[in-house]
Amino acid sequence: MPENTPNPESPAPVEPEEIRVGVYTCHCGGNISHVVQCERVAKMVGKLANVAVSRTDPSFCSDAGQAIIEQDIKELGINRVVIGACAPSLHEQTFRGAVTRAGLNPYLYHHVGLREQDSWVHASDEEGATEKAMRLMAAGVAKARLLDPLDPIRLGAEKQALVIGGGVAGLRAALDIARQGIRVTLVEKSPFLGGRMAQLESIFPTDEKPRQLLHDLIQAVTAQVGITIFTQAEVTGVSGYVGNFSIQVTQHARGVSPEMAEALTAACTQETPDPFNYSLTRRKVIYQPYPGCYPAAPAVDWQHYDGQPIQVNGKSIVLQDDALVHELIAGAIVLATGFDPYEPRQGEYGYGELSQVITLPQLIRHMALVKNGETLTWNGHPVRSAAIIHCVGSRELDGVHEPQADGQVNNYCSRVCCTASLHTALEMRQRFPRLNIYELYQDIRAYGRGHEEIYRHTQNAAVRFVRYHGDDGPKVIAAPKGDPYPVLVQVKDYLTYGEEIEIPVDLVVLAVGMMPRQVDDLVNMLKISRGADRFLLEAHPKLRPVEMAVRGIILAGTAQGPMNIQESLAAASAAAAKAASLLSLGKVELPPFVARVDPAKCNGNGACVTACLEEGAIALQTFVENGVEVQRAVVTPANCTGCGACVGACPNRAIDVQAWTLAQYDAMVDAIAMDWPELVEVEK
Amino acid sequence: MSLDNLHVDALVVGGGIAGMQSALDLGDQGFQVALVECEPSIGGKMITLSKVFPTLDCCSCITTPKMSAVAHHPNIKLFTYCDVQSVQEADGGYRVNLVQKPRYVDASKCTGCRECEYACPITVPSPFDRGLGAYRTIRVPFSTAVPQVAVLDMDYCILCGKCEKVCAAKAVDFNQQPEPFEIQASTLVVASGFELTPLGAKKEYGGGKLRNVIDPLMMERFLAPTGPYGRVLRPGDGKEPTSIAYVQCAGSRDTTLGIEYCSRVCCMYAIKQAMLISGALPLAEITIYYMDIRTFGKGYEQFYQNAQAMGVEFIRGKVASIREDDDQNPVVKVELTEEGRTIERTHDLVVLSLGMVPVPGSNTALNLPLGSDKFIAIPAPNASPCATAHPGIFVTGAAMGPMDIVDSIVTASSAAAAASAYIREHKKEAVYA
Ligand SMILES: Cc1cc2nc3c(=O)[nH]c(=O)nc-3n(C[C@H](O)[C@H](O)[C@H](O)COP(=O)(O)OP(=O)(O)OC[C@H]3O[C@@H](n4cnc5c(N)ncnc54)[C@H](O)[C@@H]3O)c2cc1C
Ligand SMILES: Cc1cc2nc3c(=O)[nH]c(=O)nc-3n(C[C@H](O)[C@H](O)[C@H](O)COP(=O)(O)OP(=O)(O)OC[C@H]3O[C@@H](n4cnc5c(N)ncnc54)[C@H](O)[C@@H]3O)c2cc1C
Ligand code: SF4
Ligand code: SF4
Ligand code: SF4
Repeated sequence: MPENTPNPESPAPVEPEEIRVGVYTCHCGGNISHVVQCERVAKMVGKLANVAVSRTDPSFCSDAGQAIIEQDIKELGINRVVIGACAPSLHEQTFRGAVTRAGLNPYLYHHVGLREQDSWVHASDEEGATEKAMRLMAAGVAKARLLDPLDPIRLGAEKQALVIGGGVAGLRAALDIARQGIRVTLVEKSPFLGGRMAQLESIFPTDEKPRQLLHDLIQAVTAQVGITIFTQAEVTGVSGYVGNFSIQVTQHARGVSPEMAEALTAACTQETPDPFNYSLTRRKVIYQPYPGCYPAAPAVDWQHYDGQPIQVNGKSIVLQDDALVHELIAGAIVLATGFDPYEPRQGEYGYGELSQVITLPQLIRHMALVKNGETLTWNGHPVRSAAIIHCVGSRELDGVHEPQADGQVNNYCSRVCCTASLHTALEMRQRFPRLNIYELYQDIRAYGRGHEEIYRHTQNAAVRFVRYHGDDGPKVIAAPKGDPYPVLVQVKDYLTYGEEIEIPVDLVVLAVGMMPRQVDDLVNMLKISRGADRFLLEAHPKLRPVEMAVRGIILAGTAQGPMNIQESLAAASAAAAKAASLLSLGKVELPPFVARVDPAKCNGNGACVTACLEEGAIALQTFVENGVEVQRAVVTPANCTGCGACVGACPNRAIDVQAWTLAQYDAMVDAIAMDWPELVEVEK
Repeated sequence: MSLDNLHVDALVVGGGIAGMQSALDLGDQGFQVALVECEPSIGGKMITLSKVFPTLDCCSCITTPKMSAVAHHPNIKLFTYCDVQSVQEADGGYRVNLVQKPRYVDASKCTGCRECEYACPITVPSPFDRGLGAYRTIRVPFSTAVPQVAVLDMDYCILCGKCEKVCAAKAVDFNQQPEPFEIQASTLVVASGFELTPLGAKKEYGGGKLRNVIDPLMMERFLAPTGPYGRVLRPGDGKEPTSIAYVQCAGSRDTTLGIEYCSRVCCMYAIKQAMLISGALPLAEITIYYMDIRTFGKGYEQFYQNAQAMGVEFIRGKVASIREDDDQNPVVKVELTEEGRTIERTHDLVVLSLGMVPVPGSNTALNLPLGSDKFIAIPAPNASPCATAHPGIFVTGAAMGPMDIVDSIVTASSAAAAASAYIREHKKEAVYA
């Protein structure tokens, strides 16, 4: 927990200066001005008390637009700025910068959202929208008159980062952050690094060996100064804020010592389905997923180990999970928790009901188990004909597909499965030349560099393409007894003009999409958001594409959405750039919109402390006043999110959120509720 | 701007969204950055767009603040209207020879008041508006340009001297000469972007000669609030179109043109434009002829579904040819691949969803190895996605192959991370003292 910093003093009383408000009504490149008559708004607002200048511009956020505001501050002595424009989330920072450059305190500026709150929602009512804009702007001016100068909360930032997830994205992020001189702790849940990439055999578009690439990357990570790796570890507690998160990591024991590993593995008899091979095979509960894995030492699968003793050299050994708890500090957290392949429902395209229906990840593992030169078999039968069905668990339609557990269908494209399917089909063609291969698709999305070439090769490699429509997908059924093939795929093929066809196959492969890894615990601990697709949500796809809305939390790789390896790497490096920008200066600034207690009004009843939703944000402290011990609420600004729960709870109106005070709200409400004739009067 | 020899940590070539983001990320970490742009303003292709998918944010609302941030960044030095002449390895970094092209306006004096522009009698087609609009021979390139400095186009100037006379800052200088200068940089980030496949590339689609067959950047200008007309019309006769068609993969995925790759943004921009046109011309019928719809990005499939729900017609078909009828209406001959027949349909306006190609000549001075698609080669995409074949030279944005704005911004930060690590390792900074 950070030390209690004293309550920021009430800002020094400003010299009673003349308040001169500059008001700027932005067209927002037409977004606002197509609906709201900005000139009229500007004219009306210009007549309000204290308003020294009122202007419009096609886009005040442009350099030229900002220059106008700066010039007014300098030349007209403007000391309060009100800008009616897009959403504050977009450009509040931009305008704060302009105001600061002109030498004014950045918090003497108020932003009115005329786009989201007005023109976009009242597009069909120009007159009404214009009146509303006048009222919103009038309220903005009323508030601006009461603005006080504020200073951001400046905090030291730990030059340390935490990366959660040790797949290709997490590894790359850790490496690139450490290369900037920032220490990194990498926390991986499983006992081994590499994530899902290790389960692939050959990757598009380069046909490289993924485990070799991972090996090289892991070698670079382990050789890099400043990286600590915890495997079999999970984040079990987080508190604090950007620049200074306190983190608790719980690390399970590997369970077997290096000296005993070989003997114990050999003696271990308990087996469990092998997740590395998507349960196609079984493995021991003391295991290495594959030769060459990192770390090389075997580990115990605690989830499946039954606790029974293992007999070694006449000794009976019970494996013990002596978990360790590590406490660490980090200035920023990178989430690289990755994806899971979509798990089809029981009966979806025959999955779980017909043994010949498997997923693409399973096929890749199955082919890896078939030795070179051998023929492809399934259930002991040679595979003569296989159909790959695209978009399973992706691009689902409301009303056509069964919703997921949360009631939503997966309406997104998983973007990797098309090229992964084509690439796998090509490999099948090379290894099993006589196999009949069908690709059942809606659109082939071979979008990336080198992907279209793979598509073209597949077309030239006697792979047969069948195009289905999403609302009338293929059906997979068991073939009637006596048929030469065990399974039939029935589909309307739009490459043959909607002909109903029946494809007899030995194997059906579902090109399943990507789902985010289950990270409910992290979402709750970090108070972060997910999108409707359940992937972790970026703050803004263009302005802050790898950052989350909570400052200091950064995204890398498929935790954010489907990506291939190249894209995961790029996103991970981008995350590293953001972590470095945030931490390399050793300090961060937080906005001063936090609660402030007026000690003169506080009677120490503590309602605020009960109401507060954050840990360590507000507490009662004992002071001596006129020789009497009294309790007064004290805010720790760094922990306060400025939510205002305490403001509502205080019976004495003793608490305000800075820059959003009760007095300012009162003034805004009065202005908004101004009688229309009065407004019109002003307008004339 | 001083043209003294300059030593910087990183030199970024190209001031589109990708180059700007790389420069900002490097500058934010305290590195000294030079950003070189060959045009008179930064902003790249993005600043000419209308609204941008998938959020339909107004484009200048995203771009202009970035341009401003670059201009005001204490660690970024901006060089506009400069060409890169050559790049040599030197002192473990790179020596870059550049030339400042003459603006015929003294940038240190010009206040951007535009008086010269109002005085100039000669009007020329504006490339910013893709030739649909016009501007003066001397002008600030566009209203949100950075820097706000006028530039004079000597090719059209009649030397009447009117601009010089009205300029209160005495900034017009007809005698300016190209000025060579040099920058030493530890690392380079190439963000030279893309060009559209030329409108005339495909003879079957009229070879660029049909008046009402346009390129998609023209449509962006029609749709942009800052555009030349402020509405959508046919360039042929100014008529408001009621039937508009998009031809997908025009100049991409086309072996006959030697452009075999997918340009990856054209499906999305066509859908976006169709949605924006539906807003601007509610009665217009919009048809998209496509082979595969590739809406693969985050939120993009939903965007496609919304367009379908709005009534945009998606027809799977191969457009064999486009001709013109007597009223200059484009007539599209399309093979309906789902029905096995070929039809002809007449539209008022056809937009060719052209692909992305590298900017011609943009790599001459850099001399980097190219891929088979002519974009800058990335030897190890699955290990170092932004590293070129030369150590210390990184690439981002559409210079590394077609990509949209989100991907350009992500790769820009990624290139910045690679570059900054390179600089630190290069300087042998003892980072864990
Ligand atoms: C069938 C298939 C084929 C593919 N083929 C290709 C291909 O040929 N080429 C290509 O470029 N891409 C391919 N991909 C995509 C590729 O697999 C992914 O892009 C890549 O694996 C994503 O890496 P990641 O690090 O984001 O996620 P992951 O690989 O999923 O790694 C995430 C890591 O985080 C760990 N983790 C999760 N939660 C926690 C937690 N709470 N705490 C700590 N650790 C946690 C996990 O254990 C895991 O190690 C394919 C994908 C599929 C499904
Ligand atoms: C019609 C159309 C609509 C689009 N709509 C969208 C959309 O809605 N959403 C979206 O996400 N994407 C959209 N895009 C894609 C978007 O335009 C690109 O992703 C983006 O512009 C790429 O940015 P960039 O910086 O890489 O390249 P560019 O924008 O091309 O910028 C490159 C810059 O480098 C400069 N330059 C080039 N060579 C040199 C050199 N040798 N020396 C110095 N400077 C040089 C250029 O002058 C230019 O300023 C659209 C594209 C088109 C064609
Ligand atoms: S990438 Fe292809 S298979 Fe995967 S969801 Fe998208 S369209 Fe379907
Ligand atoms: S001198 Fe040239 S640029 Fe200046 S006003 Fe005359 S024509 Fe225009
Ligand atoms: S993005 Fe769409 S239109 Fe563009 S080349 Fe690819 S498939 Fe064709």
